[in-house]
This record gives sequence, C-alpha cells and structure tokens, in this order.
Amino acid sequence: MKVVYCGGCNPHIDRETVAADLPQDDPDVPRGATVHVSGCLRACASDHQLVAEGDGRAGAGAEGASAGPERPPVIVVAGELVDGVPTPSSELAAAVTRKLKE
Amino acid sequence: MALKTPEEFVQSLADLHLQIYLFGEKVDDYVNHPLIRPSINCMAMTYELAAMPEYEDLMLATSHLTGEKINRFTHIHQSAEDLAKKVKMQRLLGQKTGSCFQRCVGMDAVNALYSVTWETDQARGTDYHERFKKYLRYLQEEDLVADGAMTDPKGDRSLPPHQQPDPDVYVHIVEKRDDGIVVRGAKAHQTGACNSHEIIVMPTIAMREGDEDFAVSFSCPANAEGVSYIYGRQSCDTRKLEETDLDVGNMRFGGQEALMVFDDVFVPWEHVYMCGEIEFSGALVERFAGFHRQSYGGCKVGVGDVLIGAAALAAEYNGVARASHIKDKIIEMTHLNETLFSCGLACSYEGVKMPAGNWQIDMLLANVCKQNITRFPYEIARLAEDIAGGLMVTMPSAQDLADEKIGPIVEKFLVGTCDTPVIDRMRVLRLIENLTLGAGAVGYRTESLHGAGSPQAQRIMIARQSNLNHKKELAKAIAEVGKPWEKNRVKKPTAVAG
Ligand SMILES: Cc1cc2nc3c(=O)[nH]c(=O)nc-3n(C[C@H](O)[C@H](O)[C@H](O)COP(=O)(O)OP(=O)(O)OC[C@H]3O[C@@H](n4cnc5c(N)ncnc54)[C@H](O)[C@@H]3O)c2cc1C
Ligand code: SF4
Repeated sequence: MKVVYCGGCNPHIDRETVAADLPQDDPDVPRGATVHVSGCLRACASDHQLVAEGDGRAGAGAEGASAGPERPPVIVVAGELVDGVPTPSSELAAAVTRKLKE
Repeated sequence: MALKTPEEFVQSLADLHLQIYLFGEKVDDYVNHPLIRPSINCMAMTYELAAMPEYEDLMLATSHLTGEKINRFTHIHQSAEDLAKKVKMQRLLGQKTGSCFQRCVGMDAVNALYSVTWETDQARGTDYHERFKKYLRYLQEEDLVADGAMTDPKGDRSLPPHQQPDPDVYVHIVEKRDDGIVVRGAKAHQTGACNSHEIIVMPTIAMREGDEDFAVSFSCPANAEGVSYIYGRQSCDTRKLEETDLDVGNMRFGGQEALMVFDDVFVPWEHVYMCGEIEFSGALVERFAGFHRQSYGGCKVGVGDVLIGAAALAAEYNGVARASHIKDKIIEMTHLNETLFSCGLACSYEGVKMPAGNWQIDMLLANVCKQNITRFPYEIARLAEDIAGGLMVTMPSAQDLADEKIGPIVEKFLVGTCDTPVIDRMRVLRLIENLTLGAGAVGYRTESLHGAGSPQAQRIMIARQSNLNHKKELAKAIAEVGKPWEKNRVKKPTAVAG
C-alpha cells in the first residue's frame, strides 16, 4: 500500500500516526491501494481533491470512476475528513482501513 | 437558449411585473424608475461585458452540465482557476460600475447548494441534488439572475426560530402538501432582489431540534404569487430624483436592497432542496457565507480601484499630487486594496474539489478575507476623504452651478488647478462623497461590515479553524518546553563575570 503525504505546513492531525496505524501486509487490502494523507482540509496530497480522481470504488464521490478489479482503491485523508466525510482524528486510520477492505 | 443581451435582460425584468413598493406606493414601471434604474444598469453590465470578446475569459465559463458557454454568474466552479476567475470577474465589474452589481449572491447560493444537496442525498436518500441540477440547467440555459436569499429578519436574536413570539421573522413551512410546500416569512437586506428572475431561499442559521420547519431551502420565480418587495432606502437616494446627474456622484450605477416578503407562497416539490434536514442547515449557511466572503475579495477591490482613482484625481485637481504625504496615502490605499485581492485569490487557489464534484474555497482564508473587508474599505475611505478635502461634503448644488447669477460665483471659488474645469473637479468630489457616505457607501462600507455576516461570524469561523494546538506545539518545540533544566550548567557571560 502506498502512502502519499502532503508537505505538512499546517497539520491539524498527526499524519505519521495515521499512516503508522494503517494495516500492513493485510491480505484483505487490495494490492496497489493508495492513501493520500493531508494534514488539513486543503488536501494537498491529493492535489486538492477531497475524493481522489481515479478511485476504483463505486460511489466514491459524484464523479467516482467506475469500479473495476483493475483499479485499486485510492482513499483521501484531509485533516479530519476521510473521502470528504467528517471523522474524528482518533478514528481516521480505522475509517481508512474499513474503506480499504470494502 | 443563447446568452441574453442587456436589452433582453431589462425587458425580461419588466415582463415579470414584480410587486415592488417604494415610499409607500406600488411601482409599476420599475425598470424606468430613476431611483431603481441605476441598480438595473449594474446588473445589465453583467450581460454587456459577457458579450465582449475582451472580457470573455472572465465573464464566460463552460457549463459542466451541458458543455455550452454560459455566463460565469450561473457557473458551478470546476477548478481552483475557476474560483480565481470569479474573483477577477467581480473586480472587473466593481471597476466598471463603482457599485455593487448584485448578481453574485445567486452565484454563491447555487455553488453552496450544489454540494449540500449532494451530501444530504448521500446521508438521507433524498433526491435534492438531481432536482437542483435540473433547476441549475434552467438558470444556465435561460441566462437568468437568481437572488441568494439567506438573511431572515430574526426578531429577538437570543431566541431560536421556533421560540420567536412571531415565527414569521424566520421563513418557515406552514403547510406540507402532496404537491409541495407553503412558506411564510421574509428575507431582509436582499441585494438585487427586484432585479432577479428567480429567488433561492436558504436558512439563515444552523438549525437545532425544534426548528425543522425553518430548515428550508427552495427556489421560486421572483414573481410567484405571494412574493412582494419593499425597496430599501439608501443614503442620499432622492438625489437620483433630481433632474441633474452631478450631485448623485454615480448617476448610471447603484446597488439595491429590499425586504422580500413571502405571504403563503406555494413551492412545488421539484423546487425544494431542503425540508427539515436540520443537520445540513449549518453547512449550507457556512458554504454560502464562505463563497460570499470570497466574493468581496473581488467586488470591493474593484470599487476600491475606482475610489483610489478618484482620490488621485482630486489630489491632481487640487494641485497636491506631488506632495509626498499624498503619494504615500495613495500607496497605502493601494496596499490595502491589493491585500484584499490577495485574500480573495488565496482562498480560491487553496480551494478544494468537493465529493459532489464542484470546487469550494478554503474556508479559513475566505473568512480572513472578509474580516479584512470589514476594516480596510473604511481606512481606504478615510484616506480618500483626507485627500479630497472638506469640499466633498460642503459643495454647492448642481442647480447653483447652473444658475445664471450664482453659477459664475461658484465657478470662481471652486476652481482648483487652472487647467481643470470646475465641473470635473465637482464630479470627482461627488463620486468620492457617493462612495464614502452617499448611496455607494451602502455597498462599500456597511455591506463590507455586515454583508455575508457581521465581523463576529468570521471570528468564530477563524477560531474554529485556527489549529491553535499545533501552534502551541510549535512554540513548545522551539522554546524546548518540558525539557529538564540543568541549573548548574548556567554560567555568567564572560564580560559580566569579569
Ligand atoms: C448592504 C447589505 C446587503 C446585503 N445583502 C444580502 C443578500 O443579498 N442576501 C442575504 O441573505 N443577506 C444580505 N445581507 C445581510 C447580511 O448578511 C446581514 O446584515 C448580516 O448577516 C448581519 O445580520 P443583521 O443585519 O440582521 O444584523 P444583526 O444580526 O442584528 O447583527 C448586529 C450585531 O449583533 C450581533 N449579534 C447578532 N446576533 C447575535 C447573537 N445571537 N449573539 C451575539 N451577538 C449577536 C452581531 O455580531 C452584530 O454585531 C446584506 C446586508 C447588507 C448590509
Ligand atoms: S456586494 Fe459584491 S459580491 Fe455582493 S452582490 Fe454586490 S457586487 Fe456582488
């Protein structure tokens, strides 16, 4: 799983802790998944998108790309948001993990 | 349907036969009323510039719904660049009109509703977003003006809507039917309401339990049965009724605000976008306000450009343009004005793409933008008054200047530098008067303070997003707070010890 960080100029959350709490080598997480971890709502890690373009999961935002096995999931953490949904900082990693396994 | 021409816009407005009251009387021919017409000219300018190739880049956008070229005022922002172009378009229009041109509130309303309806549907399984997109398409294809109606009269500010002695001080649902809802109440201070084809109503505050009937958002035609308008007065407004263009200061353009009344207005379900979902009312208020706080980083800057220009001309006509303190004051005005523009651009370029697919400004920076707007135009106005001199408020009238006997005396004593016609000196001073304490000051000053929310509303938003804990951690790290202190390693500086 790939973690992409923002530059970290204005973190409202502890980005490293979120990344450290993500599942490692979990067979239920599709290969090639990406998690963008931005410190605040500006979402610099995902090029200012609260839901990533090219995300393979159905229903991932109004313009979410169509689901398909060849397109691994891309999840966006931006401050206390996971794919645009408000999530307390202590639950960010758990929320991402749930989504990765959906 | 093609973009409207300014003439088509004015005709379409006349065709609505709106119920407008002014000075206690119903105004039938409102498009030709001298007190109202300047505000219509402002709105018409949003059509005129859109038809000019040299302004097309700012004034037009491509609809994400139809792929057609549309007026940017009906556009849903599709990128950070779009957000920045919106601000630049507003600066341009402020420059061309020296006034509030009114069309922004509807643009900010549709952009806020776009994401809120989408999120409500995700959470509640409603179909507001599709309804709203259909309506938006209609606005875009017909090139219409929509009024963004948020502010309720609010009665006793310490009480929630459902506890007000008269519930009508907040727009609310009085009946739910199979085919729609019936609403009652009023919206106050409505910018450009009488120059709009459509009205978009939103709640004014985050609603709580018990306020479900007040958590309502809908659209209706401006001439829907039961909707009427009581036209708001502006400082020095009756000068527009005098048969002279001089004393108004800005004869062709002006702003407009009205008290809009809903007397049991029926709204079909297809035009209802929120109906009791209290948990989404706060997001709608914040997003509309956020977009409108960004807007001021464009429109007020454009009007500021006009005021700075007028102050510089007044200095020239008075023969003091080369004085160092005057030059410095003009620099200060420019610095303040460009700081406001920087804020408008910053919150645009730091904007994000929402899950609904539209782009939204950075909320913290938009609130910082508006907080500065509550102050800087006042300082720019003060400096303009300083440079203009007292004549801007003591000058004889146009009638005196035109009078056979008094006119030559006025001309003799109002002379400035000898190559400046007195009439031009008077025109520029009247423009400064208009913007700093006449009809134009409604938009340039008081609207800068209260429009899009009073200063305290921004401070609450700034506090919420200030990330203070992070700042404290930064300070602790630099100051090494919490590190054990080794007292016995402290030595006196050599020079002192010696
Ligand atoms: C020229 C102009 C144009 C406008 N155009 C529009 C428009 O097109 N559409 C629209 O929807 N609105 C518009 N507005 C309305 C604007 O958003 C409101 O004026 C603003 O939100 C303040 O509300 P208010 O005027 O009722 O003042 P109030 O809310 O009465 O505020 C007055 C003071 O009381 C304080 N206050 C208010 N409530 C509380 C409270 N509960 N606790 C503590 N302090 C409180 C405020 O902070 C402020 O200092 C416009 C306003 C102006 C002046
Ligand atoms: S005050 Fe500015 S942003 Fe608001 S409607 Fe007028 S011109 Fe547009």
